[in-house]
Amino acid sequence: MFYLLSFFWNDWLSITMPRHQLIQLPAMLLLGILLAYCFSTLAIQDMYWGIAILIFIMASFIFWMLPHSIDVAVINKHFNRVMHINMLLSGFLLILVFRKIFFEVKILFLGMITAMLLASGITLSVFNMLLCSSFSIEQQKQTGLYLIFIAIALFIFTAITFFSYLRNRSK
Amino acid sequence: MIQIDSTDIKKQKKLALTWAITFLILFPVLITLGLLMRLRQGEVTEAAPSEFFSYMTLHGLGMAGVLFSFAFAALWYLNSTRYVKLNVKFGWFLYIIIAIGVVGLLIGTLIGKFGPGWYMLYPLPFKGTFWPLWATKLSVISLIILGVGWLVGILHILYALAKEYGGITNLLGWQYLKKDNSNIREIPSMVLITTISLIPGVFALIIGAAMLIMYLLQSFEPSLAFDPLMMKNMVMFFGHTLVNITMYCAVGWVYALLPEFTHREWKVNKAVVYSWNATFFFILFAYLHHLYMDFVQPTSLQYLGQIISYSSAIPATGITMFGVIAQVYHAKMKWSIIPLMFLFGMAGWAIGGFAAVVDSTIALNSSLHNTLWVPAHFHTYMLMGVVLFILGFLYYLFSGNNKEEKDSFGNAGFWIFVLGSYGFLLMFYLGGLNSVPRRYSNYSGIEIDHVRETGVHLAQCAALFVGVLLIGLILMYLSLICRLVQQKATNKKND
Ligand code: HEM
Repeated sequence: MFYLLSFFWNDWLSITMPRHQLIQLPAMLLLGILLAYCFSTLAIQDMYWGIAILIFIMASFIFWMLPHSIDVAVINKHFNRVMHINMLLSGFLLILVFRKIFFEVKILFLGMITAMLLASGITLSVFNMLLCSSFSIEQQKQTGLYLIFIAIALFIFTAITFFSYLRNRSK
Repeated sequence: MIQIDSTDIKKQKKLALTWAITFLILFPVLITLGLLMRLRQGEVTEAAPSEFFSYMTLHGLGMAGVLFSFAFAALWYLNSTRYVKLNVKFGWFLYIIIAIGVVGLLIGTLIGKFGPGWYMLYPLPFKGTFWPLWATKLSVISLIILGVGWLVGILHILYALAKEYGGITNLLGWQYLKKDNSNIREIPSMVLITTISLIPGVFALIIGAAMLIMYLLQSFEPSLAFDPLMMKNMVMFFGHTLVNITMYCAVGWVYALLPEFTHREWKVNKAVVYSWNATFFFILFAYLHHLYMDFVQPTSLQYLGQIISYSSAIPATGITMFGVIAQVYHAKMKWSIIPLMFLFGMAGWAIGGFAAVVDSTIALNSSLHNTLWVPAHFHTYMLMGVVLFILGFLYYLFSGNNKEEKDSFGNAGFWIFVLGSYGFLLMFYLGGLNSVPRRYSNYSGIEIDHVRETGVHLAQCAALFVGVLLIGLILMYLSLICRLVQQKATNKKND
């Protein structure tokens, strides 16, 4: 799957911004998440390490949303592959951390990612200046709109996770 | 029922006392900013508009933030010493995070002169400002830090309570609604109210974070242009909810502490569950009344705003008022300063709430909107509601076993404080009725002579009343210090 996404379909996925940002990037993250499920016993036990890794993951998301990084990733195949590996690793580590980390940190992380996606989505959808020279302004606005949808879905997911953790928590 | 050992209680008390002292330092500083504003509006001083607006922003954000932080800290203390184990080290961590946020805000407003008002209405912080961009960035980042601190703290309390009481449905009191509720897990009323108040806070803080990130992006890229209506909806959902739940958190501890003085139980029952669960829903949508003047807001939402604002005033307030009357009616109790403060706090909540409902009536809002009626109503339930609940809690915390003892010094302070406060509030109400606009650094630009002169005179009287309330506050501070010293001495003796 990684081969297909990173090599075989790479050209197709890099043609438009929504494909690059909304299909390729999340697909790599999802792949990492699925990979983690293959190692069901692996988990990051230490809370401090867990938080440090979550910060790394958040920083990775921010980095790959920066217009300059997107541009370079589209132009330079090697850099693009760094993005793929980074996202794969992020997805993988995310699950390892989530297996043991406190509820509070989990919801905080999900909440902050939701907020970040919502803010970026709205920003991209209203911005009238081209941010990534590799794409067009229509694609940029389209990406923004879909990012808002993803953020809303993640908000609902966060709410469900929140309530399901609080349900039947008797000791 | 959980057993909490005495060393844990001692540790939690130390944390609560640190919060209390921080509150006692910050509160008069923020009042002083309020006094300076009234003096400027009364043309007694000549502060520049830039100064007035940075004071106003710090005063508004500071009061809202300090009261919420302290209400949260008080709930933390009461829950952790009675009902549930909370991690005290985590509590200290939150204290530090919140302190960092406050310091950032102080620098942004006092040095940077950040001054768009407490809800920083978009695009105000970015257009034609008199303060540098770094002040905006620093203030926004500080608010994000505060939000993160509050959010993890809220989550910690909710999770611990859910673990202790068998899940969220029990916390919301739904077990009382079953047909056969003979064998149910009972919950203390404070736990129910803590849950109802804090859950909306989680959602408000996430939306607030999204909004603040957009502010941050805008500060880096000036050519960005967000939809101001969307931003206003977001900021009001965040700000109004946070201020609203501050009141409910405080009401929560009145349910827990007042029975200790009336010697009557105040238990959860079906009526309490129904009304507080209804409030849970209303908290989330009541903010819509802030957008009545925004003609582009869909009309259906405007009507919803009015209906929900009216409805939100009934269940929680109604059931709590009845509860308080049932508690104190013919009760064999000593009217010491603590129950007195709780009773007057309830009155402040009711009076301010009534003034709020008046303002949330669309027909009346068209003349009261953005007049001094607005600060009048929220100052009433904040100053004569939440602040009295907090002071009552502080007296409770600072007193050892002498909670019901006579305290003439404290009582005198209390009555002077109440007198000064209602005088100060009356000037706001009269200003509102005379169409004096809010958020004017001075009234010299108002062309209608009557409005200008009334505004100036009322501001001068208000400043006098602030002086009176400060005297009352000083007396109460002295009595609080005496109680704390006494408590320390008794503890030492016992050790
Ligand atoms: C006890 C003494 C207090 C004094 C003397 C005072 C004074 C003032 C004054 C003069 C204003 C500006 C009014 C205007 O012209 O628009 C104001 C605004 C405000 N005050 Fe107070 N206040 C006090 C207490 C409180 C408390 C307890 C709170 C608690 C939340 C509070 C929160 C606010 C807020 C949120 C604003 C609005 C700021 C804005 O419009 O951006 N104040 N206050």
